[in-house]
Amino acid sequence: MTIDGNYVAPEPAPQPGSFPVSVGWTQAAIAISSVMVLKTPMNLRMSIEMHGPLLIDFEHHAFAWSTPLEHFPVDAVHTGLETVPGGAGAPPMFELPGQDLDGLLWQIGLNSFDGAPAFWLSPGERYRLTRWPNLTQHSHNMRQVKMIAVLGNAYVSTTELAGYSGVDVGEAQRLVNALSLMRILSRSAEAPAVPMAPETAAAKRQSLFGRLRKRLGRTDG
Amino acid sequence: MAEHVILFTGPMGAGKTTAIQNLSEIEVVRTEANNSERHIVDKETTTVALDYGEILVDGDEKVRLYGIPGQQRFSFMWSILKKRAKGMILLVNSDAPDPIGEMTFFLEEFRELYDRGGVVIGITRADVVAGPTLAEFSEALERTNPGLVIPVFTVDPRNRDQMENVLLALIVNIEMREAFGMLTATETA
Repeated sequence: MTIDGNYVAPEPAPQPGSFPVSVGWTQAAIAISSVMVLKTPMNLRMSIEMHGPLLIDFEHHAFAWSTPLEHFPVDAVHTGLETVPGGAGAPPMFELPGQDLDGLLWQIGLNSFDGAPAFWLSPGERYRLTRWPNLTQHSHNMRQVKMIAVLGNAYVSTTELAGYSGVDVGEAQRLVNALSLMRILSRSAEAPAVPMAPETAAAKRQSLFGRLRKRLGRTDG
Repeated sequence: MAEHVILFTGPMGAGKTTAIQNLSEIEVVRTEANNSERHIVDKETTTVALDYGEILVDGDEKVRLYGIPGQQRFSFMWSILKKRAKGMILLVNSDAPDPIGEMTFFLEEFRELYDRGGVVIGITRADVVAGPTLAEFSEALERTNPGLVIPVFTVDPRNRDQMENVLLALIVNIEMREAFGMLTATETA
């Protein structure tokens, strides 16, 4: 993908077995990831069918959108995407402070790439959290909390993460994509596998997390 | 009877009593006295010994919630309670004069609890004042405790849903730390 200041060119065609670019928020995730690594101050304006313009100010880590995140449209149709010059002297795109960008990145990361690895991730990597996402502000389920706890304590591959957390690989990959888009995941191709104490049936039954979740009615995963 | 002791720590006025009241299934046992430090935190009363609440998990198994007094002169209570605890929820009010300093102080005081269990940090009143960002709290943690990935959330202690999220995150993190062999020898309850 190339970015020339006002225009984001279409992504290259997906490789066989790769992600379908047209699905959900994949195009937005690619654009956001690319702008975030640029040295040039730049913001984004996206047009989302039926949901109005979505404005992202990277410098202030903020966004503005008329659609509340609790009504995040997972299958949004993107009708336009443009970059907007940022930095000192540039007029603000919306009244600051706006909303915290992390909440939007969390949703976009979970709902892009259709469960395949994000294009900026490489095969053979293991991942570990650098800080926890602010879970009280992001819609989440208990499977995601368990996966985040795994990532907070060891370098794991997506497959290992899925195995340790009892979820399918696609679900683990969505979480890795989201945390990576939020830039709170470190990546390593050299980190060795970290064994987890085998979870016996008795240990599984004794998990306080599982029992307390049930007691509190948090049976969403 | 199986019991799991969770401490609520942090400076006076951070919301510890409110958080326990919100989570507890029993009427919270409180030891309040008139606040003689209203120049520091403007509230009429403050905890002087402990607050106590509990959640019944299963049968006779309980999660016991203890709130400690926030002022340092009650630190003798801190020593008593931390020996029994499995984990800690450290609440820091964003409108404190030095919230990052408060966080690092309490974390240092209760470091042994992190080493043999786990800690979650809740930043309260973040919606009231523009205090340090979560990233700044995390950066301070990385400076003072390199390599520790301690969960830091903004939280409203009056919001039961949020407090349940904090408690569950603490417990699953302790279990994962145990599963990956990251805990030191325990004297957990």
